[in-house]
Amino acid sequence: MGDRLVIRATPTGPADTVIVGAVVRASADPSEVARDEYRVLVHLDQLQSLIGYGDRVDRFAVATRDRAATGRAMAAINDAAFGFQAHRSRDIAVETSQTFLVVSRFHHAIGVITIVASAVFLLCIMLLKVDERRRDVAALRLMGISAATVLRSVVLEAAMVAVAGSALGVGLGAAISAAVNAHYRGVYRTPLAFSIVTPEVVGFSVALSLVLGVAAGFLAARRLTRVPPLALFGR
Amino acid sequence: MLVTLARASLAGRRARTALAVVGVAVSAALLLDMVMLASGMRASFRELLDVRGFTIRLAPRGTLPFDTDARIDSAGAIMARLGANPDIVAVSPVLGGQLHVLGPGGGVTAVAIGINPAVQGDYTLRTGHDIAGPDQAVVSADLLAAAHARVGDTLDVAGGYDAQLRAVTRERRIVIAGTAHFIYTPANPKAMAMPLATLRAMTGAAGDPVSLFMLRLRAGADADSVQRWIERAIPRVSAVSTASALRQVDRRLSYFRQLAFILGSVSLTVGVLLVATLVTVSVNERLGEIAVMRAIGVSTRSIVAQVMLEGVAIMLAGATLGLGLGLVTAHYLNGILSQFPGLPAAIDFFLFQPRDAWVSLGLLALAGVLAGVYPAWRGASLPIAATLRDEAVA
Repeated sequence: MGDRLVIRATPTGPADTVIVGAVVRASADPSEVARDEYRVLVHLDQLQSLIGYGDRVDRFAVATRDRAATGRAMAAINDAAFGFQAHRSRDIAVETSQTFLVVSRFHHAIGVITIVASAVFLLCIMLLKVDERRRDVAALRLMGISAATVLRSVVLEAAMVAVAGSALGVGLGAAISAAVNAHYRGVYRTPLAFSIVTPEVVGFSVALSLVLGVAAGFLAARRLTRVPPLALFGR
Repeated sequence: MLVTLARASLAGRRARTALAVVGVAVSAALLLDMVMLASGMRASFRELLDVRGFTIRLAPRGTLPFDTDARIDSAGAIMARLGANPDIVAVSPVLGGQLHVLGPGGGVTAVAIGINPAVQGDYTLRTGHDIAGPDQAVVSADLLAAAHARVGDTLDVAGGYDAQLRAVTRERRIVIAGTAHFIYTPANPKAMAMPLATLRAMTGAAGDPVSLFMLRLRAGADADSVQRWIERAIPRVSAVSTASALRQVDRRLSYFRQLAFILGSVSLTVGVLLVATLVTVSVNERLGEIAVMRAIGVSTRSIVAQVMLEGVAIMLAGATLGLGLGLVTAHYLNGILSQFPGLPAAIDFFLFQPRDAWVSLGLLALAGVLAGVYPAWRGASLPIAATLRDEAVA
């Protein structure tokens, strides 16, 4: 800070001396992630003179009052403009976020594979858990408790396990999300959020795990309650 | 006998065994995908860089080739300096730019590269012949189709566009000499290559700039020492060898390697947990049987081996199924990642190498052994008399 730097547009071009006035923080722009570019911000007229740009600029940023005003301003500019075009900031953001959209699609695909793996895992564990209680179920049935009651109790137990697992999973997910953000913000030196735990994501995950848990419990219990109690005792 | 007992135990609970095999198969598929992801993009990128034998690339200082719009000035002087090094046998200068192929429907915007046809390493000729004059170009099949032209046709091509006048500038007639596969461009490129001097004139470049140089070294030359020599002799450029380019790629795509490591570890852990749980429950159900076997003289080692064999059998059956599944999902995931903007079509994130399959299979077999350790220890260490009594009472 405070040092003088000599800057040129090309190694042999005209030079200008500037004083380092401030160090700016990287903006939350996906298109800048992983690009190790050095950036220098100088006054517009100074840069125009340095690179021989005359009175030209690359783009204007226009602030509007509200969304309707944005539409009107765009229409007016595009009708009257000669040689340039107005674009919505949102449209430009979508265009420059293509890399992240691809990564997002990749994450969705990986998510589907992970869900299939966890569904099979859950089904297997519930099957084992219920199967392990063959004798308990047989005893309950011999005491006169109906197959439907046994089935409901097993499904309820499965639902409780799924809820407990979901609560643990949400906590774990939030902690991992915070760690991911801290790590990649450091790696890429950007304030961007790489992982966001939203209510929709939590709702979807809990609902999915509940559905899978209850379905797995139901399948396993139905399989067990269809076997005669004495057969469950091995006789 | 070991195999017979293990098979009987697994076959006794068909549904459970099948479910475990399916679970392991999904885990194995994810593991194979992650092993492929961890090493595939690196191998694929190396293959791409080395495909034409150019082992060093020079870009403007502090940049990577075609990473920015920056150019290297005074290319002629740099080429003369490079020619003084006996280790450098060929220098291919490349200039990147954008041209407008004019046509009745508004025309086509094309990526243009200016090269020296005698030493170029950017394309492979498909049809027609190579560039033989200043007003000739080779084009990609997609550009040929978009321009509704054929080999031998003449195109009206413009180097610039004046936004104020809404008119093209630096117009020139270019003959299509042939079509080519462009090695470093994204899929379905609208690209054309032409002599360096032609592109310079059409883009209005002052002096003799280039975007990068590609260098071919003599056999046996040390790329690192040539790289160091270049950076000392020509301070205005960054010399990027294949090794240093791979290091840069590693750094930029570290996210994917970390993701591969984390998901690979998770899938392996899930597989171990699944098999360990299954085999443990199976052993718990057969405590009496195991106690009887030990009582009649079957050695502890045989019991341990049988239980561990069950774990390994489930793992290997699941792995075999999973490796096939993994190849299918890898193809699908590669299709998604290949849509990265600007990524050369030749780069594969999921590149199958036989080594990957062996690594995955080895890890899964090891996981099967690990999954059997606890239940095997439990089966081998139970007190025979007490277990037989408990089983008789039950």
